[in-house]
Amino acid sequence: MVSEQASPRSRHFASAGIWVLAALIVGYALVFGGYIATIVAFALIYGVFVSGLNIFMGLTAQVSFGQSAFAAIGGYTSAVLTTTYEWAPLPGMLAGIVFALLFALVIGFPTLRLKGHYLAMATLAIGLITYEIAVEWESVTQGYMGISGIPPLGIGPFEAISDRQILATLSVIVVIVAFAVTRIRKSRLGRAFAAVAGSEEAAGALGINVARYKLTSFLLAAGLASIAGSLFVHVVGYVSPEVFGMHMVVLAFTMVYIGGLGTVAGPVIGALIVSLLPELFRGMRDSQDLAYGITLILILIYAPKGLAGLAQSFDARRGK
Amino acid sequence: MDNMHLVLQSLISGISIGCVYGLIGIGFCVIYNASGIVNFAQGAFVMLGGMVTYVLIERFQMPYVVAALGAIVVTGFVGACVERLVVRPLWNRSAPMFVMILATLAAQIVIERLTYILVDDQPKTLPAFSDLPPIMLGGVAINFQSLWIMAGSVLIVVALGLFFKTTRTGKAMRAVSINAEAAALQGIPVSLMLTLAFVLSAMLGALAGILLTPTQYTAFNMGVPFAISGFIAAIIGGFGRPLGAFLGGIALGLIQAMAILGLGAGFKNVAALSLLLLFLFVRPSGLLGSTR
Amino acid sequence: MNAILEVKNATRRFGGLVAVDDVSFTVPSKGVTAVIGPNGAGKTTLFNIIAGTFPPSEGAILLGGADVTALKPEAKAARGLVRTFQLVKLFQDLTAIENVKVGFHLKTRGGLFAALVQPAWARNAEKDVEDGAAALLDLVGLSKVAFSPAAVLPYGQQRLLEIARALAARPQILLLDEPAAGLNAEESERLAKTIRRIAADGTAVLLIEHDMKLVMDIADEVVVLDYGRKIAQGSPDAVKKDPAVIAAYLG
Repeated sequence: MVSEQASPRSRHFASAGIWVLAALIVGYALVFGGYIATIVAFALIYGVFVSGLNIFMGLTAQVSFGQSAFAAIGGYTSAVLTTTYEWAPLPGMLAGIVFALLFALVIGFPTLRLKGHYLAMATLAIGLITYEIAVEWESVTQGYMGISGIPPLGIGPFEAISDRQILATLSVIVVIVAFAVTRIRKSRLGRAFAAVAGSEEAAGALGINVARYKLTSFLLAAGLASIAGSLFVHVVGYVSPEVFGMHMVVLAFTMVYIGGLGTVAGPVIGALIVSLLPELFRGMRDSQDLAYGITLILILIYAPKGLAGLAQSFDARRGK
Repeated sequence: MDNMHLVLQSLISGISIGCVYGLIGIGFCVIYNASGIVNFAQGAFVMLGGMVTYVLIERFQMPYVVAALGAIVVTGFVGACVERLVVRPLWNRSAPMFVMILATLAAQIVIERLTYILVDDQPKTLPAFSDLPPIMLGGVAINFQSLWIMAGSVLIVVALGLFFKTTRTGKAMRAVSINAEAAALQGIPVSLMLTLAFVLSAMLGALAGILLTPTQYTAFNMGVPFAISGFIAAIIGGFGRPLGAFLGGIALGLIQAMAILGLGAGFKNVAALSLLLLFLFVRPSGLLGSTR
Repeated sequence: MNAILEVKNATRRFGGLVAVDDVSFTVPSKGVTAVIGPNGAGKTTLFNIIAGTFPPSEGAILLGGADVTALKPEAKAARGLVRTFQLVKLFQDLTAIENVKVGFHLKTRGGLFAALVQPAWARNAEKDVEDGAAALLDLVGLSKVAFSPAAVLPYGQQRLLEIARALAARPQILLLDEPAAGLNAEESERLAKTIRRIAADGTAVLLIEHDMKLVMDIADEVVVLDYGRKIAQGSPDAVKKDPAVIAAYLG
């Protein structure tokens, strides 16, 4: 239990430990480079995606099984604009965000009125429709073949080409995202999200426009998903529909639950751990998704608050 | 063959596939009525029906009928496992609903991946039930397997109706779905009924898969599309109404057939998913109204 | 004294049942008004009509003279009518002080930009919210548990916390739905004191209450319902002696 008099400041000990752990992992990858740097880079991209999911699910207590749709929009917009139309990566990414937000706005109005399993199924359908469109709209997406030759990340003359450059760039982005989530959580906006999560009726009674804040939260999640999609295609240099399938959704949920729903550090450490674990068991490459599925079920049953949740309750006990 | 005949033929194949969607939809209803849970792993049962039958025939040289029965039993067992290992622990911890959804979705992935590892990733099909030529009806060729599907589905729906109306177990399950507390007071083992609901639902899914596979194919990752189709059927019929789900399935099959005719086979899934969204946005209680 | 809230010929039917039948009364902009009545008299339905949970079948609700009959709860809150719930609805995972801070939503500004950039005005507003929340917790006597999650507070404190949270929205009229339900005598006394204090600070209070003692202690004006109809209105003493009221409560 949380102690009665603990001031909020004394609580962040173990939570800070989680950030240190994340920094150590990224630092190790930066120093040694190579294969591990590639894995950590993917983990950081997922960190951005999962941070978005966490705003919608963790802070606002809504559910979306279709965030992969927004990653796909961001990824494909970047891919098409930077190859066919030879745009620079940054404007391409911004265009992706705009498209993803527009789509989220259009789809969000009717979808977010739904509750429970209807909301779950509707969002799942949105993810699957996007996947199908990526497969079928061959004139733009080149179907299963995918789009290759996507240029690396870069602004002006600077390009992130080596493992270390990519990793450093992504680390900066993740830190900015985490910083933004921290500020959102502590703000009036974050309190409105928390109110919607806690009780829609009570939130309404205090004058909080529940529908509007659900939509805002959905848009933030979609924007971050779109950024993650763009980052992915630039780092890999290639995109195909498979990237944004059900696999992505289950992986993201495993990450957010391992890390701890609703915490700032959770999505980042969750993404790192879930990405690195299979590397410890090389033989399991084929059964990664199996391992993710089983892990997710076990966590949902036995540790629904995840690592960061455990850290928080540890801090709370210590603060007594 | 002229256009009229092509349309009629599509409609008939739409109805027969729709019957299968209906069976999957009923599978959703059986679990939902027993527990209020929407089992997102429902599609895995359908996939297993076809897949296990295939494996039993190909690897163990079993006769078709024995293999099909074996697949139904195996899938029923998997259903029991999902309930005991995934749903029940969460149920006992009164997990929030979306955690339950996520967990059944994860169970779907686990079953899918186990199938991938134990079998492989190639699409499989089964031979038609009977080696007879299509029946010609006024110029329209009706695939014999379609007849098997339609007759089989109707038979299953009738049998299921009788099971719920006349048998002790069936009546007990209905009592639980109406009022779990009252049923418990009457000495009905409520938790056993939940397991039974999963077993029954899994077996229904397996049957649907066995009926369907000869007309198309199955693969380890076909579960989610199957589940979505069944879910749409259940939504159209008003969630929780088995007969409604069956009719909803037929409606979906017909609409999909028209979409394939008009837009091409690639848009089969997009059409179904769009229909789902349309229903959710406009009339989430279905055509017949939801039970809860 | 001018009226803050006016209920005009409010009627609400559920199928064939008339839960609230042609009820009219006004709530002055100062003081405590109470609606009482035996179980099933239609108090909760009336409360929900006023709060905007659902509209009346017939009749109108005026707030500060403006028709707000069809407005949703959040729109009514924005116009100065804030409610509490019979079964307390706190944000369970948040601490007591965070709960109150949420209450300041209507009285503050700022969205994503303010959250990310934190310009000076937003930081000042945040400081004001922090101080205001602490002051409100002090008002209801919960300063000591400011950093406890709402979920772990005893029921009586949860009720007081909900009232503090509602006050953060600076309502012109505060609606309390059976605030004394589930409280022991000591907590009830604390609640009565708090309500009197709120009224003295200039906020109109309308409470729906079952507990006669609380009503007689703190109400300035009492409206009595029975079978959905208003059967009496007046000061606590006058109502107590009203034969219709005595009949309703004894019969």
